[in-house]
Amino acid sequence: MDILAQLIVSGISVGMIYGAIAFGYQLTFSTSQTLNFGQGEALMLGALVGLTTVNFLIGQSIATPLAYLLMLPVVLAFGCVQGVVVEVLGVRQAIRTGSESGWIMATIALGIIFRNLAENIWGRDALKFPSPLTETALTIGPVHIQPMEIAITLGTLALALAVEVFNRKSIYGKAVVATSSDRDAAGLMGINTRLVITFSYALSSVSAALAGVLVAPVTLTGANMGAVLGLKAFAVAIIGGLSSGLGVFVGGMILGVAETLTGFYLSTGYKDVPGLVLLLIVLSVKPSGLFGKKGIKKV
Amino acid sequence: MNRADASRIALLAVGALAVLVLPFFITSPYYIHLITTIAIYSILVMGLDVVFGYTGEVSIGHAALWGIGAYTAGVFYIKLGLGLLPSLIAGPIIAGAFGALLALPALRVTGPYLAMVTLAFGTIVQILINEMDFLTNGARGIPLTKLLFIDLRNYTDWFPFFSMPIARMRELEYCVLVLAFLLLSILVINRILASRYGRAFEALRDSPIAADCMGVSVYRYKVLAFVISAVFAGLSGALFSYSEVYLAPNNFSFEKSIEFLLAVTLGGRKSRLGPIIGAIVVVYLPNLLADIELFRGAALTVAVIGVVAGVITAVRRTHSIRRMLVPVALCVGFYVFSIALDKITDYRAAIYGVMILFVVYYLPDGIVGFLKQMRAQVRSRTQQTSRPPLSELSVAEWTPRIEAVQTNKALLEVSQVLMQFGGLRALDQVDLTVQRGTIHGLIGPNGSGKSTFINVLTGIYQPTAGQVLFCGHSLEGLKSPAIALSGLARTFQNVQLFGELSLIDNVLVGLHHSYRSGLFAVAFRSPRSVREEAEAHARAMSLLHFVGLAESANEEARNLPYGKQRLLEIARALALDPQLLLLDEPAAGLTASDIVELVAIIGKIRDKGVSIILIEHHMDVVMGLSDTITVLDFGQKIAEGVPAEVRNNPRVIEAYLGGASASAL
Repeated sequence: MDILAQLIVSGISVGMIYGAIAFGYQLTFSTSQTLNFGQGEALMLGALVGLTTVNFLIGQSIATPLAYLLMLPVVLAFGCVQGVVVEVLGVRQAIRTGSESGWIMATIALGIIFRNLAENIWGRDALKFPSPLTETALTIGPVHIQPMEIAITLGTLALALAVEVFNRKSIYGKAVVATSSDRDAAGLMGINTRLVITFSYALSSVSAALAGVLVAPVTLTGANMGAVLGLKAFAVAIIGGLSSGLGVFVGGMILGVAETLTGFYLSTGYKDVPGLVLLLIVLSVKPSGLFGKKGIKKV
Repeated sequence: MNRADASRIALLAVGALAVLVLPFFITSPYYIHLITTIAIYSILVMGLDVVFGYTGEVSIGHAALWGIGAYTAGVFYIKLGLGLLPSLIAGPIIAGAFGALLALPALRVTGPYLAMVTLAFGTIVQILINEMDFLTNGARGIPLTKLLFIDLRNYTDWFPFFSMPIARMRELEYCVLVLAFLLLSILVINRILASRYGRAFEALRDSPIAADCMGVSVYRYKVLAFVISAVFAGLSGALFSYSEVYLAPNNFSFEKSIEFLLAVTLGGRKSRLGPIIGAIVVVYLPNLLADIELFRGAALTVAVIGVVAGVITAVRRTHSIRRMLVPVALCVGFYVFSIALDKITDYRAAIYGVMILFVVYYLPDGIVGFLKQMRAQVRSRTQQTSRPPLSELSVAEWTPRIEAVQTNKALLEVSQVLMQFGGLRALDQVDLTVQRGTIHGLIGPNGSGKSTFINVLTGIYQPTAGQVLFCGHSLEGLKSPAIALSGLARTFQNVQLFGELSLIDNVLVGLHHSYRSGLFAVAFRSPRSVREEAEAHARAMSLLHFVGLAESANEEARNLPYGKQRLLEIARALALDPQLLLLDEPAAGLTASDIVELVAIIGKIRDKGVSIILIEHHMDVVMGLSDTITVLDFGQKIAEGVPAEVRNNPRVIEAYLGGASASAL
């Protein structure tokens, strides 16, 4: 029983990372019906840029926790720029020509290019990311938990909350919501929907980059860290529903727990399988996702 | 069979034979193997084109399906001791089954779901191949042995050039076998795509909603396309295993799936030649990227072609110079980059990525598409191509196939239908009865719920409450395709033609229901399938003739003038042999003379026994044609009766002109 509790707790923190990436998919999907197939690479780039920044700051004899905090704005700004690059190079023209396959292929290609560049800049080996918090686990009842795992959960929730508040309270957020519910009508009301889409891509990459620097101290950092995470987040986005903000975090936790359980009771080799199985089951039973709303077709 | 056909078949046979004999004249084992590999890739890429090119869905998991085919052969060989032939049967079947497993859930929703699911599937399969050691030997891989089918040395008396070392004989025979499968695949895919299946794939891409309403289920045919594609991936994989004679999990990675997609887009979608060209490029690319000098040469060629193409378009002014500048600059920049590069292998993946981006943006129709476009441009300068007009004498008069029903019961009975969107009641407790053989007009101000009513009838919306009885059967829970097949056809307020299909193909999609022969019959051209196609063609021509479009049967639908498009929609709907035809504002946007023609056609349709619901804003049209008229306002039925009654009904006048102000006037 204790082991089960432990597995669930570990699963949740992994799941929050999946949730944060899937949240990024959702942001762009709602405004433009497109998403970045290279989202995992956005996470990886965020983590690696973060690593370089932190190491530089530590080299300037700044304490690790402070260096980590100082690094955050740099990484978020980088994520912002990276998201804009993806939107301009990969998505804009495909949206204009209404080509479904165009943006899929283009974002995949950009992902490949980013990964390859990262391999050439940072090398192919996995790197250790200095942890800002102590690495000795806290013991709460029967469960051991790393402080960084708590930080992951809090960090991703803070991100989602910030976006939600922005959408509800600010006029710019309302433009995003309006574009999501009807792009043409929003455009006719004078909202620059193209800019909104660019913005949503920037925000999406920001959330991925943040997830990257949150997860990096727990795992290792490297050019290939993103691919699998991005993929898991697909499963999460579909399980939770591409149209539901809350859904992805619940979906993330479901998948995270399912994976740690599989890893423990079956074999770590099969850890990645439940994602696909859950994905197919959800699509068969409730295609719009567990928390998704069913859209009305317009004829 | 006429003489032109016979000579064409003879020519094709000679060509096929030439392809099969060709390897005997190639002495280098390296090139033999290269040809084999290209042919294997081509089979897969052609299959991928069925999904990617025709239905427009993206699969990023074809390498995994390929791997499933290959590992079927490998496992058969090491675990069961079975050889090539059983693998060639089982590989495609197993891959097809996995294809169905993926496509059935993933295609239930529109959006990028298939791409996401197949991407996940690709990764999982690679992991499983690694992990399922007991079956697949894991990372150690599976070794196979080269096959020898016939010992050619026994026949050197007749064919002296058969004398060769045994190793070469193995390579050669396998190469010929693979080429034979390639030719077979081309034949089968060509036939499937030329049949009603191919038309269905193209139709659902042009207008999914119209396809559904013609009884061609978008979901079902997308799944079918994916399964067909998976079967060819499995075949290609099984062939690949004995060509490489060593299987390792890394052969079937994500990168491979991307290569296949690159091959389709680069070569050119919706063709057989395109995938072959794409396969050649993709198979040869690693060699190119291994040799810096070769790579620089290729980059230079691309740059020169880019500049020449740029200059040509600039001279002809087909595109604006500014738009052409970017791709030309990219081509030149690519060459500069190749000069600056010294360790090329490090940047291999990035080069692939740049190629994909370039193709997606500047060569969306691929090399074949580009060449076709060039040829069309040259043609249009030298001559105006015109197809010979079809002789109208051979066209039979169209008559609907409706079983005579001896009953006085109404054809359609709608009772208490409620359609609620959130707080809005688009239809509020509407009752409506349509008698057989009549035209029932449905009018009302904009936003009164007329189109919603049609959408409820055709299954696009599920009503919140109420009942619809059609021919005595409830339509509850039926999807659009099933409703269409039960005899309820429609046209659309905003025209929904299959724009890239010809007129006759548009009508043939409507005739989809009249075919009985299946996929195999089509692929192997059974007598029945040939007969059915001929019958359907004749019927489609008679329908086009009925609406007066027979002369332009081979034009693309999108090139028709607007008024004619509406007539074509009616012909397509009639192809379903409907009991009830729903016309949603057929006269909208038509000129006066077009309207006269339309009114005559609608009258003729009724006279031939097809009942009609007519939504229309042109009052003279509705009043002149309708036997009964129902008036909707804000989702409620406010009046019903013969035209004269309705015209004088005060509530109708109020709805159209406003109450108080109308009486004040």
